[in-house]
Amino acid sequence: MARREKMIRIRELDKNIPKMSVDICNQMLTDLENAKRPVIEAVKCSLDNSNYDPKVGFLTPGDKKIRSELNVSSVQKMARTVFMLNILLNNIKSGAVNTKRELYYISKGFMKSDPFYKPLDFDDQPESDSVIDFICDMLEVYREEMNCFAGDRGGQTYSQHLLVTETLSDGTKANVDLSTLGTTPFQPKNKPQQFQLKKKGKIDFCLVVESEGTANTLVANGITKRHNCIVIGAQGVPSNGVRGWCKTIEDQLKVPMYFYGDLDAYTMQNIYRTLKAGSAASLIRNSDFSAPDVKFLGVLPEDVKKYDLHCYSVGEKDAAEARSLKKARDVLANDPFFKDKKNKDLAAILRWLVKEKKRCEQQAVFSVDPKNPRILEEIIVDKIKKGSYV
Amino acid sequence: MSRITTSSTAEYFAKNLQQVGFSSPLKAVLTTLKEAVDNSLDACEENGIAPELTVSIQKVGKGSTKSSDLIEIIVEDNGPGLELNDLAKVFGEYLASSKFGRGQCSRGQQGIGISAATTWAQLTNAAGVRVTSKTKKMRKAILADIDVDIKANKGIIKKKETVDWDKPHGLKVEFRIDGRVQLNGDGGLITYLDGTTLVNPHLSLNYKLLDSDWVHVGRVSEEVPKVPPPTLPHPHTMKLGEFMTHAGLYGKITLDKFLKKGFSRISEQTINDMKKHGLKKDYLSRPLTSIKETEYKTIFQAIQETELSNPTTRSVLTVGEEGLAKSIQRLGEIDFFSVNTRKPRICDHKPVVVEVAIARFLNLVDTEEAAQLLRFANRVPLQFDKAACAITKAVESVNWRSYGLTQPKNSMPLGPYVFAVAVTSPFIKFKNASKETIDASDELVEEIRRALMQAGQRLSRHIRAEDRAADLERKIQHIEKFAPILVHGLAEIVSAPKKREKAAEEGLKKILGRDADDAEDKLKEAEGQLKILKAKQRKKLGIGEEAVEEDEDGGDEVSEVVVAKGTKKKTATKKAATKKAVKKTTAKAAAKKVAKTTAKKSARSKK
Repeated sequence: MARREKMIRIRELDKNIPKMSVDICNQMLTDLENAKRPVIEAVKCSLDNSNYDPKVGFLTPGDKKIRSELNVSSVQKMARTVFMLNILLNNIKSGAVNTKRELYYISKGFMKSDPFYKPLDFDDQPESDSVIDFICDMLEVYREEMNCFAGDRGGQTYSQHLLVTETLSDGTKANVDLSTLGTTPFQPKNKPQQFQLKKKGKIDFCLVVESEGTANTLVANGITKRHNCIVIGAQGVPSNGVRGWCKTIEDQLKVPMYFYGDLDAYTMQNIYRTLKAGSAASLIRNSDFSAPDVKFLGVLPEDVKKYDLHCYSVGEKDAAEARSLKKARDVLANDPFFKDKKNKDLAAILRWLVKEKKRCEQQAVFSVDPKNPRILEEIIVDKIKKGSYV
Repeated sequence: MSRITTSSTAEYFAKNLQQVGFSSPLKAVLTTLKEAVDNSLDACEENGIAPELTVSIQKVGKGSTKSSDLIEIIVEDNGPGLELNDLAKVFGEYLASSKFGRGQCSRGQQGIGISAATTWAQLTNAAGVRVTSKTKKMRKAILADIDVDIKANKGIIKKKETVDWDKPHGLKVEFRIDGRVQLNGDGGLITYLDGTTLVNPHLSLNYKLLDSDWVHVGRVSEEVPKVPPPTLPHPHTMKLGEFMTHAGLYGKITLDKFLKKGFSRISEQTINDMKKHGLKKDYLSRPLTSIKETEYKTIFQAIQETELSNPTTRSVLTVGEEGLAKSIQRLGEIDFFSVNTRKPRICDHKPVVVEVAIARFLNLVDTEEAAQLLRFANRVPLQFDKAACAITKAVESVNWRSYGLTQPKNSMPLGPYVFAVAVTSPFIKFKNASKETIDASDELVEEIRRALMQAGQRLSRHIRAEDRAADLERKIQHIEKFAPILVHGLAEIVSAPKKREKAAEEGLKKILGRDADDAEDKLKEAEGQLKILKAKQRKKLGIGEEAVEEDEDGGDEVSEVVVAKGTKKKTATKKAATKKAVKKTTAKAAAKKVAKTTAKKSARSKK
């Protein structure tokens, strides 16, 4: 049991989750016995309850709480919460671990086979995911501390200089030398905090690329052979696995980390900001799931000019693009991360995007010299050398 | 080089009958019926007669062409009848019309339709039309067989005799044509007759289609609409050529007098403004006959540059909200509906009025089907080529979801609704000679949209009131479903003894009882408001028998009508409505149910 707990531990937790849960449920039951409406409270995970302190480096929760009292609109959510909490507590008790998807199907099994639970049935996985997230926000614990892991995507990692040691559930250790994998990536999956990392020689930088395909192309063209680096493919919006993995690299290896992605509002707000400072939806877990020192390497507005990169205009007519622009304006006005002085250069990029209504893909750099397959690598390395990042 | 020849108008149309609605056997039957009915209604209205029409459509044999039937179409009216001299012109000559270009909201305009029907009969059955006519002055009626002389564009009376007819006056036309009959759907005869009934509250109609029984649709208004007289043309609605032709009608008078007499919206003041825009002063005193073509052009340009008031909207005719409200009940069993008649507006320099009726029918139960759209131009149903029509575009552009209807994006809303949109104008711009599609100019589409949105707002009051009732009931059932699971889950987590679980269930029941009481109060309030609204509408339109309650909020001008069910004609081809589409259960019953089932469910033993 103790070994299992150690395996999934992400931080030193001074909370007794089963006891806290029983106390909450006990209070609810007592309220019902007294014909009083029971209440549950959780941290409000939204932008209006987010604080940003540049010294801390990530978004932290404010004082606002979501308070649900038993009534017509909350009864379903409350019943689902108690139902899922019961499953999670049983998992903690037995030491079982499940992914969010597995929990969705386990719940559906109960709901489909037992008419009593049928009203709780989930239409799709996001419904059950949100119940799990709510429980974590209510207890102010990580999902992993509830023995639940997301089946995370992204994080494909390439390096000639990185050794990863993983402690398995039976106590044995697995050692992975990334230099032996060729162009096959190492993928941290969903428990990156478990890894012990070691440098094999010197590592100059870690490059996180928005597109996994582009990360792979860089590696296939030999970036990891020519430079002492780690290359990671984020695969779009970084999952918890990617966020935790970057945090682990930053903490254990202390190498400069750079992010390279599209020059557009979506990348800036949803991908880069989440990697660097976490997200408003995961306020209580940002401390272990963000890499505050990661720099924005590009594509920068100045690169567009310098390399004459192909851009295209973002139309207000396209619903998705219009939404993205609107969100960029909102973010500039309301997001404490972009409002902070320390990030004024990042906010300036957003402002440029809103004003110019343009976007530039990360792959536009390949067209700078179509005859040179290493052009992206050369420009990236040059930018790092010259300090051309934000 | 080949010889250049000219051909008659009749020759042109005989070769291009598809342009005027005879493009298929199916459309031929509908167009023939439509032309005959349009002429009858126009004739009755012009003479102040409340129209009484009898329509019969029968299959009488095999058609001359493959896969067509020989169809007999008979339309009989109580109109003024026609003199013998006019019969050949009306039924056998193209562009012979009393209505051409006169700027009135009549159904027929050019004098093409009925002659085209005669031509179709002639081409497919080797015989034109048989007409029986009797005017007030005649003692006996005239029966004549009329053909079109296609080479000469003249009507020929092939057979003529006098017959006894017990009507004081009227006209009966009989066509035998190649065609096929479709009753329902967009191009169906019943859809056409329903549409015609809707926008003509003063029409009394008897019809028999194929083997079905005779159907009688009584009139709901005794008032025969007076088609407003045409007004003088507005110079901004003309082209230079039309302006010069118009001047030709006025002979030797001076330009000054011509402008004031020959047009609307031109006064001494506007003529002064024209001078500022380049109209030479000496032109005004010159007789029209002395003005050269190039000079006409400069005069015309000055007029176009000058700002004038919009054309008058007096020439526009409306069915009216009351007429529509009463008339729509003749189409089927109605749950509720909303009508809206806009004020006449100027669209594309032409006066136009848009009227909308939206009704939810009890006999159309399939809520997944798109709502039916009835389009009208000058009170004539439009049944083909709906996609490009201004009316269709306007309906699809409205966000009906905000009024409580289900609607896929940019499409017709779904549900058991009928949308009727009527555009009336002395100058409707059609896309084709068969008058099936109204040109979708931005201004007109916007005007129709506004009318629809107003009607939608009125409709939404009913839908919202219903939704509120259904919503409250849903909420009560919601608690009933989830509460026992909640108690059971909590008891399991804290390992509570049975006694505690039971006590919690009792406490929960008390809480639910309070919720149910609240829900019941709110529902009662919503139902009460709707009842007042319905009663007020009945009072306003004099429909229904229930006692009218005093309206507490007063002064709210609403034009939708909710009618007591069962005012529908007997239609053999339509299914009788048996169930109300939305069944309401009261919150009280639901509340009782809650208490019962909660007790039952919570009695479940622990797993």
